[in-house]
Amino acid sequence: MSAAGAIVGLGMTPMATRPIADDTVSLACRALTAALDDAGLARADVDGLLVNSSQGIRPDRLGVALGRQAGLGTLRLLEHLEIKGATAVAMIQRAILSIRAGLATTVACVFSDAPVAGSGAGSSYAHSGGVAGVRGLERASGVLGSVPTYALLASRYFAVRGGGPKDLCAVAVAARAWAMGNPDAVVRKPLDEAGYFASRMISTPLRLLDCARPVNGSVAVIVSAHPAPSNAPSLRVRGMGAVHPVRRRRGPGESWFGGGRQAVDDALAAAGIGRDEIDVLELYDPFSVVTLCLLEEYGFCEPGSVGEFVRSGAIAPGGDLPTNTGGGQLSGFYLQGMTPLAEAIIQLRGGGADRQVAGADTALVTGIGGRIDHHACLVLQRDGSS
Amino acid sequence: MSAEQADWLVSAELAPDAADPRLAPFYAAAARGALELPRCAGCGLALELEQRVCDGCGGCEVRWAEAERAGIVHASTSVHRREAALIRTDAPYPVLDVELSSGHRLVMTTVERSDRDVEIGTPVQIGFRSIGGVTVPAAFLPEAPPPTLEVHQ
Repeated sequence: MSAAGAIVGLGMTPMATRPIADDTVSLACRALTAALDDAGLARADVDGLLVNSSQGIRPDRLGVALGRQAGLGTLRLLEHLEIKGATAVAMIQRAILSIRAGLATTVACVFSDAPVAGSGAGSSYAHSGGVAGVRGLERASGVLGSVPTYALLASRYFAVRGGGPKDLCAVAVAARAWAMGNPDAVVRKPLDEAGYFASRMISTPLRLLDCARPVNGSVAVIVSAHPAPSNAPSLRVRGMGAVHPVRRRRGPGESWFGGGRQAVDDALAAAGIGRDEIDVLELYDPFSVVTLCLLEEYGFCEPGSVGEFVRSGAIAPGGDLPTNTGGGQLSGFYLQGMTPLAEAIIQLRGGGADRQVAGADTALVTGIGGRIDHHACLVLQRDGSS
Repeated sequence: MSAEQADWLVSAELAPDAADPRLAPFYAAAARGALELPRCAGCGLALELEQRVCDGCGGCEVRWAEAERAGIVHASTSVHRREAALIRTDAPYPVLDVELSSGHRLVMTTVERSDRDVEIGTPVQIGFRSIGGVTVPAAFLPEAPPPTLEVHQ
């Protein structure tokens, strides 16, 4: 098959919403084993390992030691990548480029995280960030965790572009509708508008149901030059793109949103397809407002019309642009960039069961990092489709 | 410092590291009641707090210059979640992104306890809070508007 490289294996741990005994390394080893099993590969077949750890100062965060810890042998490619939430997608890009350059043949890409501790993930995030630099100044001003930051973004976004809580609600309700069909989703209770507005306010305008659901878990993806011995479907990477816009923290420009479109334009151009050929769109959606920003920013609806677009049901099951089809990070599970990537793989393999999008051959997967400062995306296509 | 009064919003555990070389001039100025912000020594462009090289002219020298203590609210949220060990108030509190008249944007809360929802565009004056002996900028909100009155012509 192709020396172009393809995604041939997927491994996932259960997604735990309560503290568990496994640390991030144990979780990563489990996901990696599952991904190799899925592809029908042995540890000795792996000659590349890319590692994505969560931000922060966790003593057990993943690093390049994972190769030894996970029982792998001598590797030709071994790197710990770091562009925040965009890293998972960037790992696939790095794996593909390495395979195409002949620097590796079979590359495992692994992320794991375990933010859910005794007092809950919200508390873990509130206590992390330190007291140095601008982050320390913001934390001293009550900006704990990432919700107040995205709440500022949401307030600014609505002030400039229009829209409001009903648009956030439409995103959250659509995500939940998708999650209902996903056995791996951590929240599968039906949600309507009344239920959304009954959820508690975290930081105006963001409610609990506008926020991602952190889990302790791991996902591993195998990228290889060769087809999977297990005959698992090969997913080709048809296009890649990334952009890191600088929005300055000074007037008069926008500080909070904008600038990501180039990543999607580049990936679609490389694939030679248009937006209308995307069957499923898998976005990094840590907060409902991010889905609104990205749909507009990436050019999937007319500027200023995203509220109307999501309220029309376009992104929900049965809509024209199935988006975050496993419930995303809002109702599925929050494993950073692995959430959209894993769901795209499942959909293109036709393994989505109750939430499977009929005829899903082509997916756009995007990862964002920082305060939407980093964008990376992939156009994935099932091998054999045109 | 012995009679240091506790801040209304956060515990002393969140006192910023005033010795961090990136922001040391900022905190030193704040301690004497001045708002000093970084500008390019060459062209005067307003720089970000951690910026070292001017994105306008490429100048590598940063000058910390006193800024007018006034601005308008650029983005605003009222934070309802209160982490018990870190947050001292028992009501929602404001977090504001303030665009200063100098052009810089700075995230801050209010000088005094407040549970107001602050609208974007609200003019504010800049004062200071003290957390564990470290001084940080904060916003004075304008007087709350009076209740809406019938306008008779």
